[in-house]
Amino acid sequence: MAETSYWTGSEKYLCDPQLAQAFHMARTLGMPLLIEGEPGTGKTELPLHYAESKGLDLHVYPVGSKSNVEQFVARFDHVKYLRDSQIEILNAQREEKGLDSKLSTGGRNPELLADYVAKGPAAKAYGSPNSVLLIDEIDKAPREFPNDLLYALSHRKFIMPESGEEVSVSEQEMPTIVITSNREQELPTAFKGRCIYHYIHFPDKEVMQQIIEKHYPEVEEKVVKVALDVFYHLRRLGLERAPTTREILNWLKYVREASTEEAIRKIQGLEGIGALIKTQADMERVHRMLGSDPMQFSMN
Amino acid sequence: MLSSLPESFRAYGLAADIRTVLLLRKAMTRGMITTLGDMYNVLKGIVVKEPADMGPFTKAYYAYFLNIDVKTGETLEDAIQRSETFKQWKDTVLDEADKDTDLNMEDLVSRFLDEVHLTSYDIKEVVSGKELFDKNDADQPDEDEEDPNKDPVERELDRMADYSDLSLQELLDRLEKIQKQQKARHGGGSHWVGTGGISPYGHGGAAKNGIRVGGTGGGKMARKVMGDRNFFPIDRDALLNDNNIDAALASIKGVIEESAIEKLDVPKTIKTGLKRGGLFIPELSSDKNEELKVIVLIDNGGYSMAPYIRTVQNLFRKMKTRFAHDLETFYFHNTIYDYVYKDERRTQRMPVEKLLNYDKIYRVFFIGDSAMAPYELNAGSIESLQAIVKKFKKSVWLNPEPLRYWAGTYTIQVMQQIMPMFPLTPHGIERAVRKMNSRTGS
Repeated sequence: MAETSYWTGSEKYLCDPQLAQAFHMARTLGMPLLIEGEPGTGKTELPLHYAESKGLDLHVYPVGSKSNVEQFVARFDHVKYLRDSQIEILNAQREEKGLDSKLSTGGRNPELLADYVAKGPAAKAYGSPNSVLLIDEIDKAPREFPNDLLYALSHRKFIMPESGEEVSVSEQEMPTIVITSNREQELPTAFKGRCIYHYIHFPDKEVMQQIIEKHYPEVEEKVVKVALDVFYHLRRLGLERAPTTREILNWLKYVREASTEEAIRKIQGLEGIGALIKTQADMERVHRMLGSDPMQFSMN
Repeated sequence: MLSSLPESFRAYGLAADIRTVLLLRKAMTRGMITTLGDMYNVLKGIVVKEPADMGPFTKAYYAYFLNIDVKTGETLEDAIQRSETFKQWKDTVLDEADKDTDLNMEDLVSRFLDEVHLTSYDIKEVVSGKELFDKNDADQPDEDEEDPNKDPVERELDRMADYSDLSLQELLDRLEKIQKQQKARHGGGSHWVGTGGISPYGHGGAAKNGIRVGGTGGGKMARKVMGDRNFFPIDRDALLNDNNIDAALASIKGVIEESAIEKLDVPKTIKTGLKRGGLFIPELSSDKNEELKVIVLIDNGGYSMAPYIRTVQNLFRKMKTRFAHDLETFYFHNTIYDYVYKDERRTQRMPVEKLLNYDKIYRVFFIGDSAMAPYELNAGSIESLQAIVKKFKKSVWLNPEPLRYWAGTYTIQVMQQIMPMFPLTPHGIERAVRKMNSRTGS
């Protein structure tokens, strides 16, 4: 039976109730969960922490511009196959020349094509019941990639190349599939239709405070409050690349060594703001709007 | 009973169809929908496919399930307060409340929202409400006149229930029954929630011993959605601004010239050759080539153009980074005589002849209001413009001036004779690009 209990996060991961419910829904219906949202809202973290806290197998497929279904599902290792199929001839030749050592196929049998199928994350996940499969940043993939997945998603079945072996999974044992996207390109409607969709909103101050608490429980509340004020102020400036969760965590990591007063002074002086602001144009803008000279700090 | 759902959701521009209903039923059979708030959440996961769907979805949901019609630009609170559903709900609540407690409208609306968006997750957190169904008798007529002798707490519980222990058929039957009872009141319609408590677990409850539920903020979210433009589709006929710039960018993508040439695919040749056990036959693949060469001429003189300059520059800068191709920007004031300018302050002059030396495959966008004194558009200027249009077959003018003024402005009329003109809106840009593409060749 698929793991369909309601999961609300772990010690390290604060799962927004809306997301937790969408995730629960996807698992109950045996559909993939498609998560979109700004960078730094914890999209990728969800399946990682879920798998860890439930002790489930995790299979990750990071999508890139060259991704294709072959890498995702399985590919046939032609080189190995060619080598192994030549081995008897090679061995005969070696014997002729009086060489003792023999080449082996490493337990693979050229008669069995399945031995040469190198399974990708998808085939592995479908092969192990109740595992977790993460397809990270699917928007980076070539346009046809999501479309190629449609069949596998709706029929829960992959066909292995060459060997023709079928890897299928029942709805009950369907792995938990989480797909993340940064919306860099629109995904095909047919693909979205097969997923439960959830858009993660950027956490507000209270939630952010809890997130920070989970990561750096040792940082004083006063310091966190001051840092959050600056952080949300910066986000409101309409920067080209607004700082995200990851950035504020890095920033706090930088100031956490200092004593409380020291840390507050550092934050208010925008020290180490290079951790938050990532482009030159934004830096100039912050400088203009806040009237300080952030450049001088970012140098340290 | 949900058969009319796809139709009414489609009316809000959402992609709902028979599969939506089937999935919804599947979710019901798995016991995922036990309250109205669950219905909202599950449907949202199925129907909403991008943030811009959230607004229309919330509207459609309120209209279909609660008979609350949110008008464009109206806040959710106002729409709720206006609605019959809320009035009836309020009457019930006020009847039951202590006369002394002072309930203002704001609190009432919040409570209403909390009840609408109460989910089974909230309930599970607080209480396991198993015995409720036994008390909940659907056969009880949904009367306007309440029996004054009845215990108010019980009545509240009777009205609606947590359906978690019901089978699907029971659930559907039940919904239908409630719907029929309410038909009399609503005068028909497909809404199965009307008056009375929407859930027995009200926030502090009309029933005095109601349970305070923290809530997962469904109501808060719904309110936020209504007030945020980001949750509505972009108006493609609005003048270019920071909000619809991405829609404009999507329309302008069409200017990318695509060509395909056949070439030898070495990796594929090797791979298939290996499969054949060493017999190599050349494999060809078509290589797609994208080309984008654009000249943008921006009128940055005068106050009339000032509001648009930044957005236009933003648009083309995004275009440049996104597609990484040749993009040249020049400036002019009102019209072009013998020079265009390389910088915004118009200090570095560049003769038009030099502009004409660019490859003729460049596409030219003129951006300006084309409003000037008629004498400015003299023969010399018209000649320069015509020369540019003659050289670059794919030239268009994008005008931020509202379309209705075009007919009344002489210089716009003249300019339209020289080259096609489109409004500076995502939709206008799309049409301009289509026009450019249709006149290929020559």
